[in-house]
Amino acid sequence: MNAAMETVGVGKRYGRRWALTDCTLTVPPGRVVGLVGPNGAGKTTLLHLAVGLLEPTAGTISVLGERPSAGAAQLARIGFLAQDSPTYARLTVGQHLAMGAWLNPRWDAAFAADRVRELGLDPSQRTGTLSGGQRAQLALTLAVAKRPELLVLDEPVAALDPLARREFLQTLMEVVAVDGVSVVLSSHLIADLERVCDYVVVLVAGQVAIAGDVDELLATHHRLTGPRRDHLALPGSMTVVEQSHAEKQTSLLVRTGEPILDPAWTVAPITLDDLVLGYLRQARERDRTTAPARRMVVTR
Amino acid sequence: MTRFAWLQSRTQTLSIYAMLGLLAIAAAITGVHLSNLYSSQVLHCATGCDLATNDFLTRDSFLRHTFDVLSLVTPALLGVFWGAPLLAREFEAGTYRVAWTQSVTRRRWLTTRLAVGAGAVMTIAGILTLTVTWWYRALDKVGSNQYDLFERRDIVPIGYAVFAFAAGALIGAVIRRVVPAMAATIGVYAGARIVSTIWIRPHLLPPLHKMVSLANADGFGFVSSNGSPLTMVAKGFAGPNAWTQSTQFLTSNGHVATKAALSAFLQQHCSAILNPSAAPSLPVNKPVKTPPGVEEAFHACREQAAQTFHLLVTYQPANRYWAFQWLETGIFLALAGLALAGCYWWITHRAR
Repeated sequence: MNAAMETVGVGKRYGRRWALTDCTLTVPPGRVVGLVGPNGAGKTTLLHLAVGLLEPTAGTISVLGERPSAGAAQLARIGFLAQDSPTYARLTVGQHLAMGAWLNPRWDAAFAADRVRELGLDPSQRTGTLSGGQRAQLALTLAVAKRPELLVLDEPVAALDPLARREFLQTLMEVVAVDGVSVVLSSHLIADLERVCDYVVVLVAGQVAIAGDVDELLATHHRLTGPRRDHLALPGSMTVVEQSHAEKQTSLLVRTGEPILDPAWTVAPITLDDLVLGYLRQARERDRTTAPARRMVVTR
Repeated sequence: MTRFAWLQSRTQTLSIYAMLGLLAIAAAITGVHLSNLYSSQVLHCATGCDLATNDFLTRDSFLRHTFDVLSLVTPALLGVFWGAPLLAREFEAGTYRVAWTQSVTRRRWLTTRLAVGAGAVMTIAGILTLTVTWWYRALDKVGSNQYDLFERRDIVPIGYAVFAFAAGALIGAVIRRVVPAMAATIGVYAGARIVSTIWIRPHLLPPLHKMVSLANADGFGFVSSNGSPLTMVAKGFAGPNAWTQSTQFLTSNGHVATKAALSAFLQQHCSAILNPSAAPSLPVNKPVKTPPGVEEAFHACREQAAQTFHLLVTYQPANRYWAFQWLETGIFLALAGLALAGCYWWITHRAR
């Protein structure tokens, strides 16, 4: 089975600014993939490349084994929910469903009608008057009723209140459970991803900081705390992601496949939150030392 | 995709058709009446013909003004309110991300949106100009030169409208915001029309030349620009409904009269006009009355000039009217084609 998405050395330049540089990534199929990173990390650019709205300046990208937007058939295989869930404000809910039916060969009209009914949306209502949550749900319905093999969602819950956010993710999980569709969704909120994703890609400043299965990543990353040491002597199989030194204590975020035997360290498991933040900080440190002029904002 | 493109423009299309329908009904009713009046009051006029013609020309002033304004601004309006937002609104509202990720290629999406739009614009402009031209057919026979109404009759308004639409669409695709795109579209459309009218149309066909007598010229008078001495000007009559582009004075031996020759003539025969003996300083806001004697002097001067000079008229004959209509329509349609090709290039290559 083809990878849901595969990029090799992908770069995208807008004018003189590179939004994405040398991005190499393989996303396995049948997963719910969380794409996480601070604002401006290149998440939207990467997703737009995946759905064919953009073309890479450098490198190659293939989605479900084909170049994105290779033709109508490839477009039919990908469902996309753009950031802020755009809809045609002057068209009604029902007209949006008609659009979906006209423009997509595998359109599931029964599913779409059911979803709209469940959501309590009035088919004759113009989408310009819907709430943000309703609009997001409608846009998700449009993307899913297309019956794609891959569902790409760009910050689908960023603009929603906590209740709408929970409902949206609930809907998404139902769809995934029923269809077995691959999903890539981006967010700058790790908590959203934790609930739904089983695979995570951390994108920082236009580059992939880490990517992998969530359980595997959590199993191989540990928080070590112990007496302060200025010179670390760690086994070669261990990589330090992040380190902080207090007056008497050293705290490390390490990655290793081996058990940790040194009794001086207190080993604690980490959360996805810790993991992502650790890699964000690492990238920022690296950024600071290599390119001091570039600024980055980490949002949480 | 056609159904979706139609859905997106249905409301505006139908409301414009409704308005056109009302106008066409009003035009049909009054137009027949105008025809009858033309026949009885102008064509078969027995007595008091000047008054009768005048009366005929001032009929239906409301419809006349409506049609005059509409035929002038409709192409621009179609460009500004239909062409410019067509793609700009998709970008401004972010809905291009919806449109381009349905199972329809961008090329097909664009083709359909442009074809549906251009088709509607062409139909609207066509119906309007057909209505206006038909309604005006009797009035236009009386006292107007066909070339003066060139831009508001027959087929050129269709070319203008399609061009305005296409230019608006391209500008909207590039600027990506509705209101700035509208403003830019007005500018580009007005610019294209001005350039075409002033610099292109007069040279579309090589003009003809003709010697005519000053006695039956369309106009004769004196001008002075920026305080320079008065000089003589005339507008020769090249035939009914012909387009006189320029008129020069010819001396008896067939050469174009030099400035010095004209000046010498004026000094000799028209000194009463050059130096009005007692030009009274007239109070402002009072109807200007020609000082006594000047009118006689003017006529004497004109008669003398008619005996001394001939006029060389540079003109386009009346029977070239349709050639000009087709040429100008063709030019604007070609420009529209370029703009639409630009849309394709921009949307499928640049907007990625």
